[in-house]
Amino acid sequence: MTKPLLTISGLEGGYGDIKILNGVNIEVPAKSIVTIVGPNGAGKSTIMKAIYGIANVTAGSVTIHKDGVDHDVLATKPYNLSKIGIGYVPQIENIFSAMTIDENLDVGFLPESGKPLGELKESMYARYPDLVSRKKDRAGQLSGGQRQMLALARALMSAPDVLLLDEPSAGLAPALVDQLFDELVRINESGVTILMVEQNARRALEISTYGYVLDMGRNRHEGAGKSLASDPEIVGIYFGKR
Amino acid sequence: MTDFIQLLFNGLVEGSIFGIAALGISLVYSVLRLVNFAAGDFLTLGAFTTFFFTTSIKFPFVVAVVISMVLGVALSLILEFILWRKLRKIRAGTLALFLVATGVAFIVRQSIAMLFGSDSRRFEIDQIKSFEFFGAIIPQAQLIVLVCSSIAITAIAIFIKKASIGKDMRAYSDNPSLAAVSGINVNRVIIATWIISGTFGALAGVFQGTVQGQFTNAMGLDLLLSILAAVVLGTIGDAYGALIGGFVLGIVMELSTWDALLGGIPSTYKPVVAFVVLVIVLLFKPEGIFGVKARKI
Ligand SMILES: Nc1ncnc2c1ncn2[C@@H]1O[C@H](COP(=O)(O)OP(=O)(O)OP(=O)(O)O)[C@@H](O)[C@H]1O
Ligand SMILES: [Mg+2]
Repeated sequence: MTKPLLTISGLEGGYGDIKILNGVNIEVPAKSIVTIVGPNGAGKSTIMKAIYGIANVTAGSVTIHKDGVDHDVLATKPYNLSKIGIGYVPQIENIFSAMTIDENLDVGFLPESGKPLGELKESMYARYPDLVSRKKDRAGQLSGGQRQMLALARALMSAPDVLLLDEPSAGLAPALVDQLFDELVRINESGVTILMVEQNARRALEISTYGYVLDMGRNRHEGAGKSLASDPEIVGIYFGKR
Repeated sequence: MTDFIQLLFNGLVEGSIFGIAALGISLVYSVLRLVNFAAGDFLTLGAFTTFFFTTSIKFPFVVAVVISMVLGVALSLILEFILWRKLRKIRAGTLALFLVATGVAFIVRQSIAMLFGSDSRRFEIDQIKSFEFFGAIIPQAQLIVLVCSSIAITAIAIFIKKASIGKDMRAYSDNPSLAAVSGINVNRVIIATWIISGTFGALAGVFQGTVQGQFTNAMGLDLLLSILAAVVLGTIGDAYGALIGGFVLGIVMELSTWDALLGGIPSTYKPVVAFVVLVIVLLFKPEGIFGVKARKI
């Protein structure tokens, strides 16, 4: 079996003395979409924050395996994570709102990615034509849907192997939610692996290769995305509301 | 008319110095959330070290200025490593930072007096040579200050706008948590901020020393209120605002002494004008001229 691109194993940690994660195991195969769902407060965001050193880690490991080499993610400085191929779009405040759209892309750019800045920007504008006419506007003036597109574009500017997305559909109008999931599929088809956390569980699992249900900071269920989305027990317990 | 041109020129010269000094304070605030009350004394230090290297060691003036800028940067970085970084780590509050910055200011000021004496100093440059422009007297030294400060202001404005580290600085001040997770090396941003602050502090000090003619170790402290007024006027944390706030304040302060304006005020009261501007801005437009959202100091 080939090694997964990203492996989270036995991850424990939290904030200060408060323990939130009690042993989380997640495997993200290359080119897949993996979704983590679970009730509010389960610790979904905390997994991503632990990777970025915002939450503390007390046990476990996170490894990214590419080009035959394992990189210790937790030992990598947060600002160097983009250099080992990880991009992150946080749940909130995920754009630089006082800067222009164009500058948001500049800031996301990673010279080490080996791709020229101009070319990457062109490809982002081709992907998100709504942003073209607003290049020079402050990002804070964008609508909710456009913001989310910019947040994705900013993260894609570092040409990541894997994108960590924390609730990408949060706060979007229903019509935009569909657009967003279509966009995630397109990003994935362009070769980017995705690990996301979503409240909109059924919709997210439908496009996912694999899904995990997290509860109280531990794995509770897992399975292929579609089967999890239609498992009556899980649907009943964890996302009956949606 | 002649008076007006004279005051306008004086105001531009003084305003450009306020602008340079205010930029450093505003930048440090935007990146570190620290109001650097020691900034005034870094101006004084720049003037005194330049004086020392030109008179005691006979270095050419420009060389002495460059050395002074390097020393200003070095001291700023030392303080960053032994003080500010540690205070950030323990999440020191506004009051703690205020007290420490005030203490640093005091120590720098007293050290200058100890090292260089507290007599007033004067650069060995030609202070007399002047031109006439529509009847106004334009001293050559001040004209050089205005030209050099305008070049420095243009250079820094372009740097912050275009350079990659300039963009990183703006990104970090806009959204520190996102900056930290999007490939920006926060420590590099902070070091770049202190480098700019140290360089510009020393430069502003040399310019102010030149314009004043003579100066003591209280020069920067006397100027601090005006610089802070420029910072607040131009919206604290906004680098471009600080530059414009500096010019506006410099011109307002000079014009306030104009006879044609109800006789004008005695020029020794100019700092009071800065204080009045500061209070008016804080009362009626605390976010400054360019502020979109109100940021409390
Ligand atoms: N900075 C913090 N300091 C202390 N506790 C925190 C912090 N951030 C989150 N928590 C707590 O950690 C727990 C898990 O939070 P987390 O954000 O990971 O949940 P989540 O699964 O992402 O939930 P949601 O669906 O609401 O986003 C919650 O109880 C939360 O209150
Ligand atoms: Mg969350």
